This record gives sequence, structure tokens and C-alpha cells, in this order.
Amino acid sequence: MLLDTRAYVETPERVRFRHQLAGPGRRAVAWLIDTVIRIGIFLLGVAALIPFVTLSEAFSGAGIGLAFLVLFLVEWFYGVIFEIAMNGRTPGKLALSLRVVRADGSPARIPDLVLRNFLRAVDYFPIWAPGTESFAIPTFGIAILTMTLDPKLRRIGDLVAGTVVVVEERERIGEDLVIEPPVTEEERQELPAQVVLSREELRILEDFVRRRRRLSPERAEELAELCAPALAERTGIVAPTAERTLVLAFARATGRDR
Amino acid sequence: MSGASARNPREGFVARRKPSWDRLEALLSRGRVGGAEEWSELAALYRDVSADLARARALDLPDDVQGHLDRLAGRAHNRLYGAQRGATLSVVSDLFHGFPAAVRRQWAFVLAAHLLFYVPFFVGVIGPLVAPGFATSVLPEGNLAQMEEMYSGSIDRSAGNDAAMAGFYVWNNVGIAFRCFATGALAGLGSVFYLVYNGLILGTVEGFLWSRGRGWNLLDFTIGHTPWELTGIAMSGAAGLRMGWALIITEGRTRLGSLRHAAPEIYRLVLGTAALLLVAAAIEGFWSAGPAPLWLKVVFGGVGTVTIVLWILVGGRGGRG
Repeated sequence: MLLDTRAYVETPERVRFRHQLAGPGRRAVAWLIDTVIRIGIFLLGVAALIPFVTLSEAFSGAGIGLAFLVLFLVEWFYGVIFEIAMNGRTPGKLALSLRVVRADGSPARIPDLVLRNFLRAVDYFPIWAPGTESFAIPTFGIAILTMTLDPKLRRIGDLVAGTVVVVEERERIGEDLVIEPPVTEEERQELPAQVVLSREELRILEDFVRRRRRLSPERAEELAELCAPALAERTGIVAPTAERTLVLAFARATGRDR
Repeated sequence: MSGASARNPREGFVARRKPSWDRLEALLSRGRVGGAEEWSELAALYRDVSADLARARALDLPDDVQGHLDRLAGRAHNRLYGAQRGATLSVVSDLFHGFPAAVRRQWAFVLAAHLLFYVPFFVGVIGPLVAPGFATSVLPEGNLAQMEEMYSGSIDRSAGNDAAMAGFYVWNNVGIAFRCFATGALAGLGSVFYLVYNGLILGTVEGFLWSRGRGWNLLDFTIGHTPWELTGIAMSGAAGLRMGWALIITEGRTRLGSLRHAAPEIYRLVLGTAALLLVAAAIEGFWSAGPAPLWLKVVFGGVGTVTIVLWILVGGRGGRG
């Protein structure tokens, strides 16, 4: 099965652009960061109450009461408040370049954010409660199930609210391509006079040449082997490795072999 | 080199257009867009980058170029269309007009939720008063003893303990209410369960304490916030039932389409629920455990009840709200 984790968006300007959908792993990390921050806010709230608590017994009870109020606010309103204030992001989402948008790519509005956040309570299920009643760990079983089944990787809150979570990374445009290592005199002698490639082939080769620096040599070779034999046969390029075959074909076709 | 760029259109295109992209990037990276001039510059750059994106697609340029333009166009689009004018105002209007109107339109779900909650509740209240073993068959004896101790009204019961308890109940009961709503997504079953279960538990505690002669203490503590809190729980259940209903009865839509169709109405009910619970929390935290005499607390609870009833009956009727 082909997994296309992109959402296509058509704007009023009749432009279609793609959003990269965020998967469960990335979102889980963002959630963990948010959870740590929420615990932090709660502890800060408790720390702020300590001076009052030590005053007298009456105040100590009030302090505990207020601590529960803080807990109530960070547990149920943290997500809504941050996502409304930061246009679809919590601090955890910001850290991982995630953003909540509507399914059509437009910014999420307050009703969408309210629904998706309050529905978190069902996505947490089933809740694992070892021992006591008040201490419970969400397993996110339902969220994981619906995200697995849904092509847009939405949990129930997203489905009802009509939102998706997208990755908003700034992709850098690659530098001008440099063939590394450069084509040697010897290799140039061996290269066919002309290598004709279709535009699509050219693009695929360029993607490969750019990406190969981020791959282990073994993986790069493995990928190159998928098409190198056919390419070598058609163009007559002879090279020691499949990877080099692709690099040389690209270099020759785009005039980067000198 | 000119031959090369004809065969590889990328370099010339990128070199020519990159300054414009960088300018857009710089504008977007700033937290705030300045005056009208910057907005119109942003809009112009957005149109340009949209055109560039279409061109990059047509030329089938490599992923890093297309990806860069995708992201840039996406962020610019988000910024340009992201301004939510009067968003806060719309929440207030939804709260005062949208929520009550939704409650009246969805009266069947609201009624069902109230019945699912209050029938077990009153069974719970009456049970311990007529059958001594009833309470212990619903709740563990330890819990009941703890409750009795809490509402014993003995001298060592300080105002401080009351406040601590109030905080716990806010946290606990709001959690119940939100879970009651959210689990409506499980074909409404979760909402039904939480309504019945909590109705029975809360009712049983109530009945048990009255049967032990602690009823007045309980009333003193709970009467102020009870109208808000119980209505909040019932409304959250109504929202959950409406959601479950949309999932089952799709009226010819897809399940997802049916949910989306019902979403605005569900939102209004949830918004009202959240408001009811926040008010309940505030009262519980700052009033219920306070030293006011019982009669004042009863009046306060009565005023709350009347407020809620008026809100739901009258809100949103004043013309096009």
C-alpha cells in the first residue's frame, strides 16, 4: 500500500499546496513535552501556595483546594487555551513544528479547537489504573486505533472537529548540487557522449543525489540498485557501484561532469 | 553552462525567485505583521509564491524546491487567512445565544440525558432511606464511612478541610463531566454509562448521608454549586448522546460527514457545559465551604437555578442572535 502522508489543500487562489501530516510518533513526543510543562505549571502553582499553607491549618486546606483548581485548569484547559492563543499550537507542538489546521488547510477556529481538546478524554481510553482510582495512565488506545485506520492520521477529536495536525518544518532549498566525489578524468573517458533522461527521471535522480548524503552508504547502494541495472543498460554507463552509476548518469545529463 | 540550465531548469528559477521567497520567509518569521503596507506586501508575496509553486509543479522540480514552496505558501496562507476577527465576541455570543438555542433544538437529547442521570440519582437517594443495605451494595463501606466522617459537622472539622475537599470535587466532577461527553463518541455508550453510573453514585451518597442524619451538613456544602454542576454533567451527557446519535443515524451521510454536520451543535452544547462547570468550580472553590449561614446558601443555590433556567429558556430568542 502506498502511504501518502500529505494533505492537499486548494486555496481561493486556485493553488494546491501540500501539508505534511504528522504521525502518532511525533505527536506523542509533543504530548510528552506538553505533559511535562503541565506538571511544571501545576508544581509552580503548588509552590506559590506553600507560603499560605504554612500560615495556619485553615489556610492549608484552602491551599490544597486551590491546588486542585490549578490541576483542573491545566488538565482540561491547557490545550484549548494554548491552541487558541498560538493559532493551533501548544508549546509541545511548537517544539516539534506541529500545528493544528482545518482539513482544508485554513487556520483552526475556536469551535474546532474546543471540540478536539475536550474529546481528548475519549482518545485517552482505555485508561490504565494500577491500584488506586485517582492515579490513572492514559493508553491512547482509541487515538492510536483511529489514527491507524484514518488516512489523514486523525484521532477522534480531529475527526469530529474537522482538523488535522500538520508538520510545518521549514524545508531548506538545497545548495547548488556538487558531485562528490567529482567525476574523474578516467570516468569521463568511459561515459557515453550523451545521456538522455526524461524530466521525471532527472528529478528522481536529483532527489537521490541530494538525499544520499543523509543515507548510510549501504542504504544508498541498496536504493540505487533498484534502478541502476536498467539505467546502465540503457545508457551504457559502467561504474563500480550502483550508486556511482546514478551519480554519473545525473552528472552527465546535467553537464556537471566537468 | 547555458546548455546545462536548459536541461536542468532548477538553478535559474531558484536563483531568480529566491530573494522574493527569503523576503516572505523573513516576514513570516516575525511574530507580528506590521501596518497595512506589510500586509499588502505579504499578500503580494503570497500570490507570487503561489505562482512559483504552480510553476515548480509544472516543471516537476525536485522535492526540496517543491517542499520549500509548499511550506512557504502554507504558512503565508495560514497567516493571511488566520486573523480571527471578533473570535472572542463569537464565543460570548455562542455562550449566551447559541448554547440555549442549541439546548432547545436538541431538547430530546437534553431530556434523555437528564433522565439517564436523575432516575438513577433518585433511586440512589431513596434507596438508603428505605433499605439499610442499599448504600453498601453500591459503594464500599470504607468510602461511605469516610463520607460520613467528612460531613459529621464535628468540632475538628475546620473550614480548611472543606476547601481542600471542594478542590478535590471540582477536579473530580469536571473530569467526570468531560469524560461523559467525550465517550459519547463510542456510539453514545460511554455517555449513557457515565450518566447512569454517576447519577447512582451521587444519589446514593446523598441518600446515605440523609439516612445518617448528615443531610443538613451536605446541603450546606453543596447547595450553592449543585445546580451548576449537575446541569453541567447532564448537558455534557446530552452533547455526548448527540455525538453518538450522529455516528449511528447518518441520514444518508457518511459517518464522518454526519459527525461533521452535527459538530456545530455539539460545540454549542460543550461550550455551555464548560461554562456551567467553570461557574460550579468557582462557587465550589470560593463559596461553598465558606462561613455563610445555611439560609443564604440555599438562596444562593436558588438564584443559581433560576439563572440557569432563564438562560436556557430565554437566551438566543432576541431576534437573530
